[in-house]
Amino acid sequence: MANMIMASSRTLIRASTVSPPPPPSQKLPILNHITLPRLQLPLLNNLSLQIPIPHPNQTLKSLSVLAATSLALAPPSLAVEIEKAALFDFNLTLPIIMVEFLLLMVALDKVYFSPLGKFMDERDAAIREKLSSVKDTSSEVKQLEEQAVAVMKAARAEISAALNQMKKETQAEVEEKIAEGRKKVEAELQEALASLEKQKEETIKSLDSQITALSQEIVKKVLPTV
Amino acid sequence: MESLTILDNMNVLLCSINTLKRLYDISAVEVGQHFYWQIGGFLVHAQVLITSWVVIAILLVSAILVIRNLQTIPTFGQNLFEYVLEFIRDVSKTQIGEEYGPWVPFIGTLFLFIFVSNWSGALLPWKIIQLPHGELAAPTNDINTTVALALLTSVAYFYAGLSKKGLAYFSKYIQPTPILLPINILEDFTKPLSLSFRLFGNILADELVVVVLVSLVPLVVPIPVMFLGLFTSGIQALIFATLAAAYIGESIEGHH
Repeated sequence: MANMIMASSRTLIRASTVSPPPPPSQKLPILNHITLPRLQLPLLNNLSLQIPIPHPNQTLKSLSVLAATSLALAPPSLAVEIEKAALFDFNLTLPIIMVEFLLLMVALDKVYFSPLGKFMDERDAAIREKLSSVKDTSSEVKQLEEQAVAVMKAARAEISAALNQMKKETQAEVEEKIAEGRKKVEAELQEALASLEKQKEETIKSLDSQITALSQEIVKKVLPTV
Repeated sequence: MESLTILDNMNVLLCSINTLKRLYDISAVEVGQHFYWQIGGFLVHAQVLITSWVVIAILLVSAILVIRNLQTIPTFGQNLFEYVLEFIRDVSKTQIGEEYGPWVPFIGTLFLFIFVSNWSGALLPWKIIQLPHGELAAPTNDINTTVALALLTSVAYFYAGLSKKGLAYFSKYIQPTPILLPINILEDFTKPLSLSFRLFGNILADELVVVVLVSLVPLVVPIPVMFLGLFTSGIQALIFATLAAAYIGESIEGHH
């Protein structure tokens, strides 16, 4: 719309520049505007003749009449000078953009969506597997621990059994030896007792003889006169 | 005498109009001016094609650079791309359901293309490159781009429904009651229409607001509107992708 106004003002300027005397300008492609002032001025002269006092209102009115007629005569020239604003201008651009978009979709899929998508999925799967495998090894570890405990128990039982057996054997040996020792000791004791008995008897015998000797002496001493 | 005064008045008018014209030329806002190329017998909007090539180049080059060697513990770039892919997968999974896998490239490309287009239009200094006619901006500010994407979405959800259910897909038009048949048919037209116009209107309007504000007050005032533009254009990309996924999911889903 601004263009239209400026176009009309442009034609107004051209129209007024060719005011008396109007040379047929070869620059202007429109011929009807050259005659415009000639048409207008006699009209205005007539108007001015009819109304003797020049009012400012009258000047404005005449000017507006001028502008209106120039606007009315302008449209054919506008098509030549000003390009129409084209917002809803459908043309070959539409299918070209469609094709470009489809090619972009294929290219982006090959370059970006598929490789990166695959990589991300694989990474997710690997992480999930690692997580689950960690959970499994913890149960395995428990199993191994139980096994170890069982093995330890068995080993301990073995050891204690062997120990007991060893103990028994050594005890039997020890008892044997003790019995032997005791026998020896007893035998020696017997011997010693026997020898003591012998000695005792001998001493008793010797004592006996000494006792008789002593008793005779005592008697002699006691009974010296007998 | 009368004519003289009239001519004087006209001269005054001339001068003021000339100055206005000069001001207008400085602060010109070009709306709907396109840079036309001719291919075969058809015209194309070259500014849309050029900016779309730049967007595609940004997407592909950055993807190739990052995805070259992938590591278990990601670098910053790889982490960013992984986040985007997870986000897209999440959107697809939420809307489509368990069979979301094959649709991730479509939804993802939709989201990335629209997002990078919108943000490139707002952030990149396109004005440096002067075109003979029209100017470079976001490719999504053109009705052709948005309608193309919306039509592709339509085709996608039709294809999804037909490939999953065969011709039984068309029974959805008379569900839950046959009275709703006209509305269901109308829906097939309003879905792409609303998708395209929502995106087109948002992006074009934001561009216009920023340009007008910059032409009026070039210094500080446009900056909050620019940030708002970044925010809303990002949201629009998300909305487009989510709705596309929702339509596909709606076509695929089983019985209620």
